Amino acid sequence: MRPDAYYGLPTTVVYCKQCVISNQKPNSAVEFQHTIATEKTTINFDHREICDACNFTERKRNSIDWPDREKQLRDLCDKHRKKDGTYDCIVPGSGGKDSFYASHILKTKYGMHPLTVTWAPHIYTEWGWKNFQSWIHAGHDNYLMTPNGRVHRLLTRLATELLFHPFQAFMIGQKSLAPKMALLFDIPLVFYGENEAEYGNPIGDGDTALRDPAYSTSEKRSKIFLGGVSTVDLTSQFGVDPSDIQPYLPADPDRVAEKNIEVHYLGYYLKWHPQACYYYAVEHGGFEASPERTPGTYSKYNSIDDRIDDLHYFTTGVKFGIGRATYDAAQEIRSGDITRAEGVALVRRFDHEFPDRFADELYKYLSLTESEFPVASKMFEKSVMDQEYFHLLTNRFRSPHLWMHINGGWQLRHPLRREG
Amino acid sequence: MTNIRLIARLDIKGPNLIKGIQLEGLRVMGDPQTHAQKYYAQGADELVYMDIVASLYGRNSLHDIVRRTAENIFIPLTVGGGLRSVEDVRQILRAGADKVAINTAAVQRPALITEIATVFGSQCMVLSIEAKRQAPGRWEAYTENGRERSGLDVIEWAQRGAALGAGELLVTSVDMEGTRKGFDCELVRAVSEAVTIPVIASGGMGKAEHLVDVVKQGHADAVAMADILHYGRAQIGNIKQRAEIAGVAVRHHTAS
Repeated sequence: MRPDAYYGLPTTVVYCKQCVISNQKPNSAVEFQHTIATEKTTINFDHREICDACNFTERKRNSIDWPDREKQLRDLCDKHRKKDGTYDCIVPGSGGKDSFYASHILKTKYGMHPLTVTWAPHIYTEWGWKNFQSWIHAGHDNYLMTPNGRVHRLLTRLATELLFHPFQAFMIGQKSLAPKMALLFDIPLVFYGENEAEYGNPIGDGDTALRDPAYSTSEKRSKIFLGGVSTVDLTSQFGVDPSDIQPYLPADPDRVAEKNIEVHYLGYYLKWHPQACYYYAVEHGGFEASPERTPGTYSKYNSIDDRIDDLHYFTTGVKFGIGRATYDAAQEIRSGDITRAEGVALVRRFDHEFPDRFADELYKYLSLTESEFPVASKMFEKSVMDQEYFHLLTNRFRSPHLWMHINGGWQLRHPLRREG
Repeated sequence: MTNIRLIARLDIKGPNLIKGIQLEGLRVMGDPQTHAQKYYAQGADELVYMDIVASLYGRNSLHDIVRRTAENIFIPLTVGGGLRSVEDVRQILRAGADKVAINTAAVQRPALITEIATVFGSQCMVLSIEAKRQAPGRWEAYTENGRERSGLDVIEWAQRGAALGAGELLVTSVDMEGTRKGFDCELVRAVSEAVTIPVIASGGMGKAEHLVDVVKQGHADAVAMADILHYGRAQIGNIKQRAEIAGVAVRHHTAS
């Protein structure tokens, strides 16, 4: 009998012939509709067993007319550029290499006046905070939105408990923030970095410069789920004040339409290369790689500012069999920075490594003590998170079609192999 | 004052010469052999070939390129990356290397330093240390191309390495590497003062003045450079001239 596949994942595991991603990679989802019942849609593979992220890279390399795209960007900037001393675009970001590149090049090469906006990480790493400061000091104004720590912890705990998705509260806030700031400051142009189609979202998404508003707008508050729990239940059962839910709510689509807020991908206009963004950010702002590789991968320059990121990629490994080394290597193979053989070696070596370095601090972050959470703490079978409970959860979320228990440990049924 | 050696450092991955910043974001720069030939012609005193990701990928693959280099280039060649045993060292020396640089394997098993020094001589055993600053005056040794902490204090490790038989230290500052902002002179000085064997400073050279600084302030015996050469920002002959003007003695090669 075939083992069950959770989350609506494909029952047979296939790896891309060009990179190292598997067909289990979910597409971006509208996170505030995410519950345990949500079935994932996943990356498309063509008949040659090549993933759409690689196919998109092929287009980037061969068929897209980049000079024309840049001209479109200049036209867009000419249309929006302000000369009256006000901001003319919003660039959301963390001050990592990609947002550094986006805001800095818009400002210095295209003559724009960006306001940068940041949704805070759960817990900053020291180097993440330093890079965030370097970004600002490279010549940008910035608004940093930091949500109520208690509420953020509760939502993160719920997302971990119910969805095994400890990064969700961040993702929701991050996606909602920029359009809301655009409304607040009446700045109708927002630039994100690269399109998610570069990482395997439906390839047609890459044909437009505009970001699908569904990621950041929603009509009805009652339809919004945070950490897999409806906002109504969060208030009635978990003791969350409605005002504390405010930061997570997406922008009102009517107002977005009325104000003509346009959310563009800069990666539509400029050929995105993460490694080149690293060089750019070092050169123009003193960006620094992290002082050690991130657990679960070999990389030091990618997504390094939030301590909870360690758990995020560990959980994608558990749920989808895809850990951080796979994501990093797949991207670097597509970008031509490493070969597939190197990528395979890196995945086999680092993927699914347990992130010990911040574990105790993260368990504490996820623990809902009675004194801090008098109402919510009663809703959990075990309100304190520790290693034992985290491992219990881990095993609850392992999809049987991906993992098997052998000799006292978990192993992938279909690990990436050196050939094919 | 003895002559300061100028060493062209070539980090190699697979068939390619590569270069990063702080050992990250490794960029393909071209064919290592072509670059090596050029630096030899420019008057480099020595070459270092480093397969810096050999440990990361669990391989060592420099034999062919070392063999080809040894046929055409007649200055000392140090080879590092992925060498784990006396046998590995024997193979690479046989291919044409003059010295070996050891980091990860020595951290894992310090006795290897003594074994190599005993079999092939201390002059051939270069201990490679990737140093990352932790606090003022304190550095930690890293392995695997600046990715893994070893828990070892750089100064203590340098002294221990020297005591175990290392003949030379290659000290790379992870903080300065690829930044073109100059060497970590404090680091080089702290190491130089702690040991009697020669110290090669590596990481951060962006202009000739940086070499002068690390020799005068850091007391380096030799200086390794990469970015400045690979990107063609300066030529070795020119760097030597400027060093001499600043009072640093360098070696002049008779035409070869």
